[in-house]
Amino acid sequence: MELDYDRLVDLVTDLGYRLLQTGAEIYRAEESVQRLLQAYGVTTGEVFAIPNCLIVSLTTPGGQPITRVRRVGPHGTDIARLEAYNAFCRSVCSQPLPFDRFQARMDEIANSHLAFPTPVILLAHLVGGGAYSLFYGGTLSDGLCGGISCVAAGLCFMFMSKVGGSNQFIRTLVSGAALTLCALVLFQLGLCGNLDKVIIGALMVLVPGIIFTNAIRNVMAGDLTSGINKFVEALLIGVSIALGTGFVLGLSGLLM
Amino acid sequence: MELFTPAYFLPVLYAFVGCCAFAITFNTHGWEIPLAALGGSLGWLVYLLCAPLTHSPIFQSFLAAVALSLYCEIMARIRKCPTTSYLLISIFPLVPGAGIYYTMEHAIRGQMEDFWAKGAETLGLAGALALGILLVSSFTRMWTAFRVRRGERKVK
Repeated sequence: MELDYDRLVDLVTDLGYRLLQTGAEIYRAEESVQRLLQAYGVTTGEVFAIPNCLIVSLTTPGGQPITRVRRVGPHGTDIARLEAYNAFCRSVCSQPLPFDRFQARMDEIANSHLAFPTPVILLAHLVGGGAYSLFYGGTLSDGLCGGISCVAAGLCFMFMSKVGGSNQFIRTLVSGAALTLCALVLFQLGLCGNLDKVIIGALMVLVPGIIFTNAIRNVMAGDLTSGINKFVEALLIGVSIALGTGFVLGLSGLLM
Repeated sequence: MELFTPAYFLPVLYAFVGCCAFAITFNTHGWEIPLAALGGSLGWLVYLLCAPLTHSPIFQSFLAAVALSLYCEIMARIRKCPTTSYLLISIFPLVPGAGIYYTMEHAIRGQMEDFWAKGAETLGLAGALALGILLVSSFTRMWTAFRVRRGERKVK
């Protein structure tokens, strides 16, 4: 039976796109698509991905070239879905599914509600920010204030993401400013002793550790274009944090 | 030794709690949360243990990064998950967040010499971290390729 190559390219491109959207490394997306094509018996496939674009192309046995291009928009990191898509890709590679089942399973993963409710995420901010304030040598009251400031940053970040129209750098900058403002108020009220420990603990949630790690892993896999792209992103986010906190601290220095 | 008091190791515990909490904000579920957080505290434990040996935060960071990425690679193989999902969380305690802050603070106060020194140190820490992860990941990739090739030969 002749394979429906158009449909195949559509499906594998969609899976690659979804992997990139959940924050997978570039080489993972490329390799996954390549392996999927091989699983369906296509050996003439080419895949190319950079952080915001995915291109899949193959030549059918009849000599007809087929190409799909997907643009990958701004996205966060969703580890649960990344793992789900990765596991799905592994299972398809070892045992190719009919296309209808393929699509159905993929939609199943997309629709499954794997997200935590907002209060839990805010609680995680409280605990996380607090723990890192203590980690950097703050006292117990510093930890509490760090947690509260971290919640302020989290709320601000979530609100700006929901409203939309803002990029990652502006979001980080404003969240950094919000958490510094919160920490300053708590400091002025006399609730915490070490302002620096409070702010550092709270800003850990904004620090681009994930992007930085992904950048390194891209470079390691030989994707220099993607690696440099991500490095610059991490650097700019670091600068945004410094600008946001610095702006508020500088203003408070002028006023007081 | 007098250096290794219980209070000295307290940050390891804080790192664990902090990593657990941040794992939730990146939508990690189930067993992955404590396992990834364990990697974070392991990294910091190595960092602290190496302190008397090297007296250089940058070299300590490098060793810690090697230890924690080894842990992540092994864990990913055992649990059949992408290495990233562990690495992303475990890396948090080593990311120089404090460096970013102090660099900025020096800049605001106009202490330019301290600003350059702290900025360079922050970049150095990040570089050490990168190098540690890079080393381990490249090595595991080579190892897998070697194993695959040997497996193919056996089949023939």
